[in-house]
Amino acid sequence: MRGRDVARSGGPELEPSLQHPSSAPASLPAAPTRRRLLAGLGAGLGAAAAAGALAACGGRTSPVSPAADPSPAGPSAPSGGALTIGAIPDQDPEVLQRLYGLVADSMAEATGLAVTYRPVTDYAAAVSLFRTGDLDLVWFGGLTGVQARRQTPGAVVVAQRDIDEDFRSVFVVNEATGLAPSEDLTELADLRFTYGSQTSTSGFLMPASFLTEQGVDPRGFPGGPGYSGSHDATLQLVASGSYEAGVLNEQVWVARSEAGEVDPAVRLFSRTPPYHDYHWLLGPDAVERLGEDLPERLQDYFLGLSADDPDDARVLELFGAGSFVEARASDHAQIEAVGEQLGLLR
Amino acid sequence: MSAGSRAGAAAPVCAPVGAPDGAPAGGDAGPSVPRLRRSRARWAWGVGAGVLLLWSLAGAGVFSGEVLNPAGARQLARFGAGALAPDLSPDFLRLLLGSTLVTVAYAALGAGLAVAAGALGAPLLTRSSWGRRRTGRLLARGAVAVPRGLHEAVWGLLLLNVLGLDPWVGVLAIAVPYGAVTAKVFADLLDEAPRAAHDALVAAGAGRTTALLYGLWPQAAGGLLAYAFYRLECAVRSAVVLGLIGAGGLGYQLSLSFTSLRWDQVWTCVYALTAVCVAAVVAGRAVRRRIADPPAPRGGRLRRDRVLVVAGVAVPALVAWSAWYLAVSPAALVDDRAREQLALLVSAAWPPDVSGPLLVALAGAAVVTVQTSVVAVALATAGAVLLAGLTTRPAHRVAVPRALAGVLVRTALLVLRAVPPPVWALVLLFVLRPGVLPGALALGVYTLGVMGRLTGEALEELDRRPADALTALGASGAAARLYGVAPRAVGPVLALALYRWEVAVRDTVLVGLLGAGGLGALLALQLAVFDWPAVTTTLVVVVALTLAVDLVSDRARAVLR
Amino acid sequence: MPAVRLRDVEVRLGRTRALAGVDLVVGAGERVAVVGSSGAGKSTLLRLLTGAVRPATGAVEVLGHDLAGLPARELRRLRARVGTVHQHLDLVGALRVVHDVNAGRLGTWPTWRAALSLLRPQGVPEVVAALAEVGLADRLYDRTDRLSGGQQQRVAVARVLLQQPDLVLADEPASALDPALTDRTMLLLRDVVERRGGALLASLHDPAVALRHCTRVVGLEQGRVVLDAPVPALTAADLAAFYGAPR
Repeated sequence: MRGRDVARSGGPELEPSLQHPSSAPASLPAAPTRRRLLAGLGAGLGAAAAAGALAACGGRTSPVSPAADPSPAGPSAPSGGALTIGAIPDQDPEVLQRLYGLVADSMAEATGLAVTYRPVTDYAAAVSLFRTGDLDLVWFGGLTGVQARRQTPGAVVVAQRDIDEDFRSVFVVNEATGLAPSEDLTELADLRFTYGSQTSTSGFLMPASFLTEQGVDPRGFPGGPGYSGSHDATLQLVASGSYEAGVLNEQVWVARSEAGEVDPAVRLFSRTPPYHDYHWLLGPDAVERLGEDLPERLQDYFLGLSADDPDDARVLELFGAGSFVEARASDHAQIEAVGEQLGLLR
Repeated sequence: MSAGSRAGAAAPVCAPVGAPDGAPAGGDAGPSVPRLRRSRARWAWGVGAGVLLLWSLAGAGVFSGEVLNPAGARQLARFGAGALAPDLSPDFLRLLLGSTLVTVAYAALGAGLAVAAGALGAPLLTRSSWGRRRTGRLLARGAVAVPRGLHEAVWGLLLLNVLGLDPWVGVLAIAVPYGAVTAKVFADLLDEAPRAAHDALVAAGAGRTTALLYGLWPQAAGGLLAYAFYRLECAVRSAVVLGLIGAGGLGYQLSLSFTSLRWDQVWTCVYALTAVCVAAVVAGRAVRRRIADPPAPRGGRLRRDRVLVVAGVAVPALVAWSAWYLAVSPAALVDDRAREQLALLVSAAWPPDVSGPLLVALAGAAVVTVQTSVVAVALATAGAVLLAGLTTRPAHRVAVPRALAGVLVRTALLVLRAVPPPVWALVLLFVLRPGVLPGALALGVYTLGVMGRLTGEALEELDRRPADALTALGASGAAARLYGVAPRAVGPVLALALYRWEVAVRDTVLVGLLGAGGLGALLALQLAVFDWPAVTTTLVVVVALTLAVDLVSDRARAVLR
Repeated sequence: MPAVRLRDVEVRLGRTRALAGVDLVVGAGERVAVVGSSGAGKSTLLRLLTGAVRPATGAVEVLGHDLAGLPARELRRLRARVGTVHQHLDLVGALRVVHDVNAGRLGTWPTWRAALSLLRPQGVPEVVAALAEVGLADRLYDRTDRLSGGQQQRVAVARVLLQQPDLVLADEPASALDPALTDRTMLLLRDVVERRGGALLASLHDPAVALRHCTRVVGLEQGRVVLDAPVPALTAADLAAFYGAPR
């Protein structure tokens, strides 16, 4: 039973970091989880917002525009130049995005840049803002990263996580279908089926490609496929039975399984072959502004993050990564080909 | 002398006429009696509406096969449980405080600009300013249909591509479509205000402005101000929808929590939003009441109404604070980068894609969109009418349970419209099979929240005396409503429903994704893959559809009058 | 059993005292004109008798029933026996005349019949008869708000004719009518109460009409009864005082 193995072998580096405190058994070690980290940072953000509201008129910056308060932790902020970072909303975005200040601080400390995190909740918006230069460094998914590179000539891939070299999706089915785990995706063809977001690599693009490989029309399911919008929504919709089957990011599946949050009605059906997914992408404007060596400096920072350092560990934990590794543009050639085939890239 | 003996007592008064019960009225013994004639136009419209509804319901699959998915009740319950146990941790609340300020600032500045634009634009749209030059007026009205036909979220995405992460994105995404709607509504209000006083002043030699100020403004002011405050409440909800596309504020937090289905946090956001909306509603109500029914002057001295003075100072102050808080700078609208990005966007989006397959897909999607909107508005109208007894504030003092029920229902409606339609769509999909229906019901539930309130207000404005007179002669509550309220409420309520239909067509953009299809799903995909030529075509179709629905409902309203 | 009995009634509307210390007994067969300047409490007195206004103190008895503590069902039954012609007419303009007249039977009709009648008018012959009495039989299916003010007033009278009440309350029933029609209207209302041995209370602004059609005059001033006399004892000059001081 390969499926069962998958659920248990989800990568040890993920285990403590993705527990939901709400459902974790009391006996678990009180490791600082992502959601718990939120507490401390939320306080900071809230205070900053309140302070912003009360600040004197002079030199005011918008709470929603890139020129907002540079990272308070940046030691020599103005001298080093300013860098605006962002991320697509994907897994646990409420934790990730509210905690990104942590990454900004850590990056500012290591690079001497004034790093600001700007929130974005829409995949396409992240790509557009990268193109307009509002965001300099963005954590993209596979497909959105390729989209961004096509729209922004000169963009540089900086780094990816260790797990992104071997990323997978999982197909899940409702138990009422009676389907046993299998490699044969054609069994899904006659079920009501939902993807995640339309431009999610792990929630749509790669699964659609693997379905096509096995002769299943990825847009053909009865009544047409649904786009749940997120991995968690896919899980819940399959649990409810409204959709009989669906596909999601394996990282989320493992995290939710280990937290005991997956409804028993949801069964693992199949695990896709590996592909490359998320990566950091740097815009050409920033390089021009901050120096030719910027990509290297950032790469050094990311690759230098070590799980042994408590501050670094918090950042890595946030990304559910053991470490960051080098990434090349060619890593995503497969995604580019599939994207073109499915009409998602122009 | 009991009431029971009264049935036979009708005889004496009839005796002189001598028409026995059941005899054809207007027989030779009595005076000539006209025949009952029904208005053919109304019947035709009524039958048409019925057919449209049945067709839409059929399209939504109500008559064919299973639509329910009872197994999903557990997931729905989880959503409901979040309502009772929202995330009230101090840190999250602090986070929401800042976000709420951003949302309020977007809404206030957006609505403020919209009202200003509406006030300036209204004279260009009124019947009186165009007189007999109907083509000009039609063109002017057509021009505002374009900004009006696109949803705020669509405006937001387009502006984001030009202005990037500038606070103007959120502000203008509200101000542009709202400005157009406000101009149209202001023009209608001005056209409908009694003009006799204004004309008399003009005849007496008053200048144009003076005549407007003394003759028209006092009569139209109540309606105009009430509408301005209504727009403010709508703007708060729109600001939340804009958060979904990344403009920040409460909607941003709601969207983050929604992606991970953290219902406890979603509900906290909804409650924060509800609180802001309540503030807008209460303020609007207070101002409207003061204008409609000013307190009597005492001691012959002119006294300014304190509430109105406070409102007059506070509203501009709020708008000014919003501009300061968001740090908007007019320069950002015209700087080189914005111009460059605009040129980029236009060159990418023009010429529009008119390939065959796209047009076929658009036609199919347009049908689904119409069906979705019809089902949504029918549901909302039916619900609003059924709840009307409780949404209308009673004129007389009533028993405590009835008063409590009223407050409860009005609050529930507020929550219905505070939860964004995409959230309703997902939640309803837990218990419904995928298709048009979940999206239509999601939109219907949301629209019910809006229509419930508007219907209640429309009924409150009706003269209560005819219904009271029926109660005084012994009619039951139901009969008094049937004879005294219903005939007069039909017009305003149907007019509201027709107006919301147009809005619903636009809102379908928000709920198309989950297997429901429609223009919204198509547009979302095109935007996600940056297929700008196709986006242009789709937007043209959306605007055209909105315009068509507007024209049809305009005709229908004329028949109702 | 008197048709109306008020004992030391006081009514407050907001902060103002609309009626104070009113004692009044109206017997069956009496026709009482209620006179007084506007704001004297005439309308309040009439509204008191339908239970639309509740007294702060004192007791109100209508057709032998004490209104205080009367269960809702009983109150409805009682109201079906009280006909009202309002100053503001209070007709439903959006309805056809036939329905507005038929509304006089809502106190005795079950709700389903009321609803059915809106689709297919019930008991049309009686409606025609009542309308014929006020000279409007040919307007049966017109929308009520298309009628002139005087015609609408006659529709309101037709409603009362159809209702056949034991007590008629008329609030300025002739305010929009010419003298000839006023007399005809008053005669019709008299006819209703005489046939059923009931009573009529009418607030009237024309002293001549009061003297011609009523048996008794009650004068109100600032909520108090300041005149209560049988008609034969009064002259038009006695009444003029009540109309002379507009406020």
